[in-house]
Amino acid sequence: MIDLLRKINSLQIFCGGCFLVCMVFLTCCNILFRQFGMPVRGTFEIMGFLGAMLFALSLGYSHDKKEHLYVSILFDRFPEKLRQVLQRINAMICGLFFSLLTWQLIKKALNMKSVGEVSETLQMIYYPFILVLAFGTFVLVLFIFYALFKKGGDSN
Amino acid sequence: MSLTLVGAIGVSGLLLLLFIFGMPVGFSMAVVGFAGFSYVISFNAALNMTGSVFWSVCSRYGLTVIPLFIFMGQIAFYSGVNKRLYRAANKWVGHIQGGLAMATIIACSAFAAICGSNTATAATMSTVALPEMKKYGYSAVLSTGAIACGSTLGVVIPPSVVLIIIGLATEQSIARLFYGSIGAGVLLTLLLLLTIVVVCRIKPGLGLAAEKSTLKEKIASLSGGIEMLILFCLIMAGLYMGFFTPAEAGAAGAFFALLIAVITRTLSWDNFKKAVKDTLRVSCMVIMLIAGAMIFGRFLAITRIPYDLASFVACLEMSDTMIMICISLIYIAGGAIMDALALLLITIPIFFPLAMAMGYDPIWFSVTITIVTTLGAVTPPVGATTYVVAGIADNVLLKDVFKGVSMFLPAYLLTIFILILFPWIITWLPGLI
Repeated sequence: MIDLLRKINSLQIFCGGCFLVCMVFLTCCNILFRQFGMPVRGTFEIMGFLGAMLFALSLGYSHDKKEHLYVSILFDRFPEKLRQVLQRINAMICGLFFSLLTWQLIKKALNMKSVGEVSETLQMIYYPFILVLAFGTFVLVLFIFYALFKKGGDSN
Repeated sequence: MSLTLVGAIGVSGLLLLLFIFGMPVGFSMAVVGFAGFSYVISFNAALNMTGSVFWSVCSRYGLTVIPLFIFMGQIAFYSGVNKRLYRAANKWVGHIQGGLAMATIIACSAFAAICGSNTATAATMSTVALPEMKKYGYSAVLSTGAIACGSTLGVVIPPSVVLIIIGLATEQSIARLFYGSIGAGVLLTLLLLLTIVVVCRIKPGLGLAAEKSTLKEKIASLSGGIEMLILFCLIMAGLYMGFFTPAEAGAAGAFFALLIAVITRTLSWDNFKKAVKDTLRVSCMVIMLIAGAMIFGRFLAITRIPYDLASFVACLEMSDTMIMICISLIYIAGGAIMDALALLLITIPIFFPLAMAMGYDPIWFSVTITIVTTLGAVTPPVGATTYVVAGIADNVLLKDVFKGVSMFLPAYLLTIFILILFPWIITWLPGLI
């Protein structure tokens, strides 16, 4: 299970890295072309969408690498057994919250699709980007639930 | 139940999740914000609010500045700029007493002008500067203290991710915040250097002088890191002249840092991949914190806690300076148990409106509390950079690192005191824009 999740993560990180490089080049092109009175149309919109995908695709990776900050002052001093119990409760709360969020994001995306909502400048549909974000939170949920059911209550 | 009481329970619930359950800070803020909003309004409204806030935060153009500036810093880090900066500083000031420790502070402040990561700076400086100082018989207390404290400059000297986030959270100009923090950063750097001079005067054995370099060697050493400092000047000048926005400055900075690294052949393909991965990992953590803070902020807004607190403090018979000192003490205590970024995101919705109600300059307040919370990175029990230095240094106890850090604490406190007495140190430069 964890191997599959990490393979998904690697693919996500590859895509996220490409989006990051695209963001750099797109902005630089916009700065350059703007000097000649020809800014790249819709740069702000595309950058926002790329940023959202970059975040979505790194959610699982960041969680797996334990990057998210937590306050360790008390928690790390608890006995091992108690820490495992607390970690499981923690995983249940987070798992439930992000499951609800995933469901809400999918609902939002489908709602946008049904009303045909498009972006302001480029007039492009953007519900697929919300679905990518929902996918990112779904992968995060899988990591959290993996930690919940694994012995020790930790994905690492 | 009154809304203020609900808000107070929400804040207590947040602390409970943070301290007892060890839940990541961004997740805790989102969960408490969601639960509180559900209680006060309705479950469906909370779900809608959370989904909308999450999407709007993730897709906000203004937030793209975060991965771009982090990317610039990571490229600089993986291309070994800080090592070269240290060697250059070493050639210039290494020959004076305590000079290698001073070179560490100078290299840290120069690297802070490109990279805003405390722990990355602490890790590299520990591997580069510690052996050098050990070679010249420097006391472990002084050398590790200088590295731990020098690496905190990354948060104060622009471009700093913490300042960007404060700017976004309080809707202030990021460029003005950057300019405001230059004076404060320079002041803190000078006081850290002064500390080394004073300490080495009192106890000369702590840091002996290294051999003197020739002028030729000194000039030759500049080529190691000068290009990145030119990059910093280009970014600040571009922002000043309105040539580009902060987000564009991040992209331009990343592009030029990459270009310099490729031309000078200092960044391998493997290191480039590491820089990208680290950027994604750190950016995700930061954006998750912001999303959590936004959801928590919506909950706080409906409970009116920030406004009630501002009204309460306005009724107190205390001078504004005393209130500011109280706020600073809260931040010092908070910074000692929590990461600066997380602490700022949790408390800004509460204290920023209060400071504005008291008539403080927003730039001055933001920069000052950034320095105050920075103290937390070196003070026990959290002190992230201190742990990094102690972890890398051979045969150095954690208590020795904290002992070294304690020598520099007066410099931080003096900086805060001077900034409270002379706010123009922060406000004059942004006033020129």
